[in-house]
Amino acid sequence: MFVTDIRKEFYDIVVNQRVALLVSLDVDALCACKVLQALFHCDQVQYTLVPVKGWQDLGTAFLEHKEQFRYFVLINCGANVDLLETLQPEEETIFFICDTHRPVDVVNVYNDTQIKLLIKQDDDLGVPSYDDIFRDDEEEGGDQDSGNESDGSSEPSGKRRRFDEVSLIAARQRARREWEARRREILFDYEQYEYHGTAVMVLFELAWVMSKDTKDMLWWAIIGLTDQWVHDRITHMKYVTDIAALQRHVSRHNHCNEDEDNSLSIDCMRICFEYDLRLSLYQHWSLYESICNSCYTLSTFKLWSIQGQKKLQEFLADMGLPLKQVRQKFNSMDIAIKENLRDVIEESSNKYGMKDIRIQTFGVHFGFKNKFLATDVVHAAAALLESVEKDESGTDNFIKALDCLSRSNLDQLHRGIELAKKKLMAIQQTVASCICTHLILSQGPFLYLCVCLFSKPLALTLLCKYLLKSFARSTRNKRCKILPLVMAAPLDVEKGTVIVMGIPPECETSDKKNFFGRAFEKAAESTSSRTLHDNFDMSIIELKMQDRSKFLDALVTLLS
Amino acid sequence: MPRNCCLHSENEAKSEGRSELIPSIKFRHCCLLRNQRCVTAYLYDRLLRIRALRWEYGSVLPAAIRFHMCAEELEWFNQYKKSLATYMRSLGGEEGLDITQDRKPPKSLYIEVRCLKDHGEFEIDDGTIILLKKNSQHFLPRWKCEQLIRQGVLEHVIS
Repeated sequence: MFVTDIRKEFYDIVVNQRVALLVSLDVDALCACKVLQALFHCDQVQYTLVPVKGWQDLGTAFLEHKEQFRYFVLINCGANVDLLETLQPEEETIFFICDTHRPVDVVNVYNDTQIKLLIKQDDDLGVPSYDDIFRDDEEEGGDQDSGNESDGSSEPSGKRRRFDEVSLIAARQRARREWEARRREILFDYEQYEYHGTAVMVLFELAWVMSKDTKDMLWWAIIGLTDQWVHDRITHMKYVTDIAALQRHVSRHNHCNEDEDNSLSIDCMRICFEYDLRLSLYQHWSLYESICNSCYTLSTFKLWSIQGQKKLQEFLADMGLPLKQVRQKFNSMDIAIKENLRDVIEESSNKYGMKDIRIQTFGVHFGFKNKFLATDVVHAAAALLESVEKDESGTDNFIKALDCLSRSNLDQLHRGIELAKKKLMAIQQTVASCICTHLILSQGPFLYLCVCLFSKPLALTLLCKYLLKSFARSTRNKRCKILPLVMAAPLDVEKGTVIVMGIPPECETSDKKNFFGRAFEKAAESTSSRTLHDNFDMSIIELKMQDRSKFLDALVTLLS
Repeated sequence: MPRNCCLHSENEAKSEGRSELIPSIKFRHCCLLRNQRCVTAYLYDRLLRIRALRWEYGSVLPAAIRFHMCAEELEWFNQYKKSLATYMRSLGGEEGLDITQDRKPPKSLYIEVRCLKDHGEFEIDDGTIILLKKNSQHFLPRWKCEQLIRQGVLEHVIS
């Protein structure tokens, strides 16, 4: 059931208990986890934090900890599947789920005792009403009884009565079949598309309601929201609305402390609203590199082709930026150039068809040297979370990424930024090579591609998004522009598995609803391919390499 | 080394008519004294370290460390332990005061720790059991964690 007063129904219950936190591996979950940890530290709630990568990890972690804990808090996992059936917990175990995955499974919504959903109900959830899906079983028992009675009843007046009863039973059964058909339809409509909300905003509001919010928590909320936007999980509308809400909090925090007489020391954290450029990591890189490796500019200029490179040179010349300056590290650029950079770039980009080169976001600065934008931190944390260096397991990376979010671990953050730069360059090269060599095949209802380098979900998501955007700009085929994309990448060479992921078509006003989750499930069932639906996102699965072709054929038939 | 040995050797040399050996004898004596000082300094330093071990590891030393101590040093350690225990019992009224805990002023009642290796189950004061698995983080009372932090199983996370 949905929790209406998050403070009374969640926080006041766990504040005197020991809690197990099961956190999924994405940046929004990390931020939500940091906020909750900070609250728990304030109130000295004992907890245990366990990172979980997928459903199997969740099951294992639950089994290991179910003896010791009665209260479980699940962050970014568990809402979109019938949790009680998957985990089979005891009667007294209570789950608090703060998840961004939608649609929320109907059993989780209507369970009153063991499942509490920490989800804001004004998100467009569209949960079907109770009577449409569940029905008391007494009526069925009633049918059977009256059936038995009519069998055992005595003769002539019995016969007429039996006739009436039989027609009554037939009418009831017909009504029941209609109800079931309607129920299947409603559930199908409800469950066919997968989309997202935000987790960290809910927890930040909890902190605010208790007046325990700090600038650190606000910054984590900002990073969580930006992560949803960078990885294309929420619509632009929702992003802008939530940014406005956060902007109010930022103003409130800024007005609390500063005034004429006592200004804050330079080491304190300052968060400010920025209407900044959509160029990834540009303040930690050179402007030229950043333009070449950001999705927006990459796809608009078509930088994989020679004309694209020429256009970029024109663009830079148009703004009056000398190449030598632009290729330097951003911090060493001429101050005169840096001053009006954003306005100059915005003016020129309007000419080149890039209407929204600027995006509303926030920046933080503390100390003399440390200035970061929210997108920088998101890219750094995501790169750390999925770094593929040897001898590092998923949980090691989780710890590193969690560390990089605190202000005292700046070297971890810088390491993350370097890794993010490598990742973006690799993505750009892959996109360029795929488009130049026409590796993307149109399979009818979707586009298909197989790449070799990326095997982790977040990196693969970014790659898919950049690729689809670039492809949509580069292809002449009108039909292909609006097709969704399915991408396969080898995951584990020894076991012979590939990771398959699908994203919805690229469109300005898309609502980011992804139907591939259910489509993959059905295709796997119909071809009995050996698949593993382990990721919390239903649209990312693992598949055996041999079953790939029949799986794709089934998918084609399903979606046409 | 008593001064007598040196004098004795000198007298012998004089009586045998070999007075040219006297500087060598004096020199040898100085060397021996120096060696004696070095050895004593070394043994004293060992003793100070053994004393520090009581404060770091508690009353029971790990076998790896006991292996490197000789019998006399173990005996000395036990005596020191007894001495410290008597002193602690004499402080703080009835039950005594364990001064080996909290050597630095504690900042908070509970600390966040991260598990560096799989340690299995761990019981805390109210009887509840915590599973210490690698890379899990826990928020636990400080006095229970100190022992494990010293052993290297847990790491204190400062954020």
